Amino acid sequence: MTERTLDEMGPVDFLVIEFPAGQANFTGEIAEELVRLVDAGTIRLIDLIILTKDAEGEIDAMELEDLGELGPLVALESELAELLAAEDVAKLAVAMEPGSVAGVLVYENLWAAPFASAARRAGGQLIADGRIPTQAILASLEADDSLDTTGA
Amino acid sequence: MPLRAARIGRVGVVGAPVARAAVVAAAVTPGPSPVAKAAVVGAAVTPGRRRRI
Repeated sequence: MTERTLDEMGPVDFLVIEFPAGQANFTGEIAEELVRLVDAGTIRLIDLIILTKDAEGEIDAMELEDLGELGPLVALESELAELLAAEDVAKLAVAMEPGSVAGVLVYENLWAAPFASAARRAGGQLIADGRIPTQAILASLEADDSLDTTGA
Repeated sequence: MPLRAARIGRVGVVGAPVARAAVVAAAVTPGPSPVAKAAVVGAAVTPGRRRRI
């Protein structure tokens, strides 16, 4: 990674992607798409770990290199910053169901960095952000439909 | 397997235990008309839909 100032950094997000017991179907497609996002400059992958939670709720964490054959992820492994601490692992695993496996990704939204810098230069400051779940959009639409139907 | 030593004892960056999110796929995959639901959600985030205030 080239040296950049804090002002040029994009927002950093994390994802915990769970694979419930018996439902994992790893074909390598996820890794390919992740590499594609990095290669396109859309994101910078900062950290990636694999978590498992057994039926008793016991957590185990694996580094990417522990997976053995990394395939296309080899190119990303050497660039990881290992941002997550052990205490983060415990907090993230709270969301997992027993018996599941999860991939945890931490990434910088490179696509947002130039816009964020421009906003800061213009005197703006981020005061809120978040994600709108698809379910919430669906619920909103259904409520709209209901209003149209009832005329309320 | 143990975590790398660099992760042990460091101050974390995740503020609090993470709450489990609703599974997004549930809104658009199962059910009687998943394609229709996905289309509806897609339309909602397409330019041209008027806001109701």
